[in-house]
Amino acid sequence: MIEFKGVSKTYSGSKEPVVKDLSFEIPDGDICVLVGPSGCGKTTSMRMVNRLIEPTNGEILIDGQKNTSMSGTQLRRKIGYAIQQTGLFPHRTIGENVGTVPGLLGWDKERTTKRVNDLLDMVGLAPDQYRDRYPAELSGGQQQRVGVARALAADPPIMLMDEPFGAVDPITRESLQQEFLRIQEDIKKTIVFVTHDIDEAIKMGDKIAILKEGGVLAQYDTPENILADPGSDFVSSFVGTDRVLKRLSLLQVRDMDLDPVNGNSDNLPQIDERLTLRDALSEIIGTGADKGLVVGGGNGSPQGTLSIEAIRALSNRETTDRETTGG
Amino acid sequence: MDSSEDPPTAILALFQSEFAPEQKGLIDWGWLSDHLTSDILPALWEHIILCAVSVGIAVVISVPLGILCARYRRLYPPVTAITGFFYTIPSFSMFTILLFVIGFSVGKTPAIIALVLYSLLVLIRNVVTGLDSVPPETKDAARGMGLTDRQILLRVELPLALPVIVAGMRIAIVTVIGIAVIGAYIGAGGLGELIFDGITRDFPTLYLTGAVLSTLLAVTIDLLLVRTERLLSPWARRARGAN
Repeated sequence: MIEFKGVSKTYSGSKEPVVKDLSFEIPDGDICVLVGPSGCGKTTSMRMVNRLIEPTNGEILIDGQKNTSMSGTQLRRKIGYAIQQTGLFPHRTIGENVGTVPGLLGWDKERTTKRVNDLLDMVGLAPDQYRDRYPAELSGGQQQRVGVARALAADPPIMLMDEPFGAVDPITRESLQQEFLRIQEDIKKTIVFVTHDIDEAIKMGDKIAILKEGGVLAQYDTPENILADPGSDFVSSFVGTDRVLKRLSLLQVRDMDLDPVNGNSDNLPQIDERLTLRDALSEIIGTGADKGLVVGGGNGSPQGTLSIEAIRALSNRETTDRETTGG
Repeated sequence: MDSSEDPPTAILALFQSEFAPEQKGLIDWGWLSDHLTSDILPALWEHIILCAVSVGIAVVISVPLGILCARYRRLYPPVTAITGFFYTIPSFSMFTILLFVIGFSVGKTPAIIALVLYSLLVLIRNVVTGLDSVPPETKDAARGMGLTDRQILLRVELPLALPVIVAGMRIAIVTVIGIAVIGAYIGAGGLGELIFDGITRDFPTLYLTGAVLSTLLAVTIDLLLVRTERLLSPWARRARGAN
């Protein structure tokens, strides 16, 4: 667990803090996305975790221990670090790059080599083909994979990732995000993930910390809750006017209570139960129907029907709930 | 009236007979092969040592000084101003100052000092430029992974700056090979001695040998260092090849 306790940072020569009285907790195994407009202090906040930047006030605890309880370099060897421009060493091969931290920790050669091969496999780069190349011989997307593999090298429980998929085209980014989420299911790291892109935040985050200018925490919650209930005008405008649709994209059809199949369903559009509600809605509207036949269960058999009404009710119910609680 | 044209010729002839061996053609190959091991090669070797020692000392001074300048930026302008001033002093004037103002006695020491002073500007500048050329994100990633400042310098910054530093050494060495020729004037020895002797004795074999060898030396060293520069950055070469 990572705990921010009243953390502030004011750079010397500046009166205004870049991070102001930040307090929140990141549970083990969660991806916490720090998101906000530029100048909101999200990168500064992340860099205070491994003490690349020291806070002016407050403290950061890792598993209950102050992160100042050991030297900065010792701390950083225990925390994975991946950044947008990858920062791969251009004069070192891919294998040497990935083996950097194991080398610093004094692992023997055999163990490092095995780990490097495993990691390259994990990020989808055939070790025999890529291990001895130099970074400049790889595409941008491949370099970012190496960056992530290098951050994971010593199997640190915590990872800091600053727009790790930022420097590639949208399609590559999409697949890198998917792959990373798949990897995270296995490795369950506690991750501080910085991005300026709310869509990436919604997609990657178990929790999202939205920061606003001046480094103030505007809201800290799950993506679902932030989209259902933006706590302020700032958050509302930051998540965008399509927040209802964004929220639908977080839910899958199979999460819904379906209506039974009544009568003739031949002319209903078929909807895979693994689709997101957003895609299902698009599918139903696109065919001019008012409901769709949900298929799935491994063999593509009908599971029930999903109506536009049910999707709308979902959004409305949340709204009503909130108003009731609020009132 | 006949004799009015004679004296200069006569004097020249006298000089030639006194100082220079009988010469057939521009180069006296016989003399050259007789004196190859006794005079020519030792002069060449002396020249190489003189330049190597000078640039060696200059590198030992420039690398730490360049690292300091890259770290503490305020140092850089005064350091370039001072070394730039050394660089602009004409070589004859430099030798004169070292001998008659500072009071060194004739020999290798003032020559080496002069050659070191001439090398500093180029070397320090290239050390700083080389260190500056290291991408900031590479240094950031190195720090973020837990390398110490020393490890970052030795394992990341210097290896990446090395091709630029070697490029500076190339310029320094070629410059120094040329200036060292003039160093013979204050008794530094080397190929310049062949040239000065040859001129004094009006013996083309001698001064041409000195001139040709010093030129060849400069060109050879230059080419060698170009190769070294490339060998030191295989990553850049492979990347160019891949594209």
